[in-house]
Amino acid sequence: MNLPISDGGLIPKRRKPLLLISIRNNISSWLLIVPSLIFFIVFNWQPLVSGVVLSFFETKGYNAVKFIGLQNYRDVISDSIFRQTITNTFIYVGWSLIIGFLVPIIIAVIIDEMRHLKSFFRFSVYFPGMVPAVAGAMLWTYVFDPGQGGLLNMLFKHLGLANSQWLQNAHLTIPLIVITMTWRGFGGTSLIYMASLQGVNPELYEAASIDGAGIWSKIKNITIPSIMPVIKILLILQIMGVFRVMQEPLTMTEGGPNNASMTLMLSSYFYAFRYIQAGRSMAVCVITFIILLILTMIYFKFNKSNDEE
Amino acid sequence: MMRNKKDGGIFMESRTGGIINTLDFKKPGVKIVYWIFFAIMILVALVCFVPPLWLILSSLKDIKEFYAIPPTLIPKTFDIGKIRQVWTDYDFLLYYINTFGVTAGSLFFSLVFNAALGYFLSKLKPKGSAVIFSLILWSMMLPNTVGMVPVFKNIIDFPVLHVNFTNTFWPMWMMAGASAFNVIIFKGFFDGIPQSLVEAARIDGASNFGIFYKIILPLSRPVLMTIAIFTVNGTWADWFWPYMVLKDKSVQTIMVAIFNMRSASMDIQFVGLSLAIVPPVLLFLFFQKYIMQGFTLSGIKG
Repeated sequence: MNLPISDGGLIPKRRKPLLLISIRNNISSWLLIVPSLIFFIVFNWQPLVSGVVLSFFETKGYNAVKFIGLQNYRDVISDSIFRQTITNTFIYVGWSLIIGFLVPIIIAVIIDEMRHLKSFFRFSVYFPGMVPAVAGAMLWTYVFDPGQGGLLNMLFKHLGLANSQWLQNAHLTIPLIVITMTWRGFGGTSLIYMASLQGVNPELYEAASIDGAGIWSKIKNITIPSIMPVIKILLILQIMGVFRVMQEPLTMTEGGPNNASMTLMLSSYFYAFRYIQAGRSMAVCVITFIILLILTMIYFKFNKSNDEE
Repeated sequence: MMRNKKDGGIFMESRTGGIINTLDFKKPGVKIVYWIFFAIMILVALVCFVPPLWLILSSLKDIKEFYAIPPTLIPKTFDIGKIRQVWTDYDFLLYYINTFGVTAGSLFFSLVFNAALGYFLSKLKPKGSAVIFSLILWSMMLPNTVGMVPVFKNIIDFPVLHVNFTNTFWPMWMMAGASAFNVIIFKGFFDGIPQSLVEAARIDGASNFGIFYKIILPLSRPVLMTIAIFTVNGTWADWFWPYMVLKDKSVQTIMVAIFNMRSASMDIQFVGLSLAIVPPVLLFLFFQKYIMQGFTLSGIKG
């Protein structure tokens, strides 16, 4: 075994030769991860680089033919539905914050306080998470079926209300898709919040009770601040996740009616596999990537200045 | 209240959060609020259970009742023959076998290759492993929106080998071997195993692989179990890449099959969807303890 010898910082760091020497000296360690690294390169790292490169090329099939600079970007942005697609994607995020962000926090706090059937509730909120995404999307398409056999229209009839067009109504289609996503996802998120609620020191609540604090004041001053770090992480993860939504609109509405539920990633999918314009598809992906990067940076900047207060 | 440290079954109660303490709970006002929230939770539970139950119950109806107007919520007829017919007409046995094949391979790839990489990053740590770790961390953090077309290109024309992997399970298996999320969870778990155990085995002359196989893996039952269940569930539910890769009917998985059944009549689709939903639900019922645990293992701490 090699003894680690510190160079005391005297030898200037040259990264690549050092890495190669390390590989030679620890060949058995590196051999162990060769397959894993190959998979990461082929399915993660190389595609990221070549995708960006491809967005600057004219493509035939999925191969680059000719460098055309920003032409793909110009084509994509000048497309008549591009503006609607971007707006839609932000509307998805907006609805998911309204519907999907607070619900798991509230549910987690309620379940954590339950003295009866607590484990049953925990079980039931996670239950939809086990329904596969595509099956869930198709199932909800039938719940929202505009005919008389749709579950919600059935319910509406019992309540004496008129049938609705649901997903076929351009104003409702995005919120309904978001409801479907939330239905599957909120239980898992609630479980993460519950795990972090278990980490809150119960003595804090006892001390607050002795000081005469009410329930609302305990939630505001102890519970929420304690789980704030988790709330912040899950918020940014949710925004990033929903911004990339593709599968649900693809399976539920195919972007319709009349592009009302089209998203950036879905239009990238259509460019790539329906119109076989890989270059344009990659241009949409890079635009999405840049918007996400800007959102993340704004978030971290905002977060940092918040912490410094 | 029952106190149970293990918190095993679904009806056992663990400690409450403590916002409402025993003294508060005796006040009538608090009690009313508590029961209102209890009622809300019952409603939430109904919203969670009713849609899949409605689907499964409806798929049991015979065709006349299925399309009856007004529709019935709880079936009066049970038509097992219809389910059997869909099962044979659409060759669901084949889809189950294919899904099983994809799942078994993905399970193997994710347990072996993600764990090996986690072990490398946590315990072997040769110089340069920090570069690999930050690459993996970045590939998890960065929104990977750009990969779709190049990944597909790599599948139809695998780099260096120039093999077309369309209509094989290899792409899904290899992607399971490249899960940054699993690698990080494995690394986090292995970090908790004392380095002294590794050193002791090394003095006894064990090789890197021997230490991994004989020391690390036997100590990692909980994390292996959790990753295994999440992988099985994730692979069963995976639709996008199987849909892109498995074009031939004879290799399709169940998710691809039910998606392609969209042109069939509604009652047949309901049976298909039920057949796709029931197995993961059963998996959940058997392994819910590990699934719930998985969320605390995922490393997001308050």
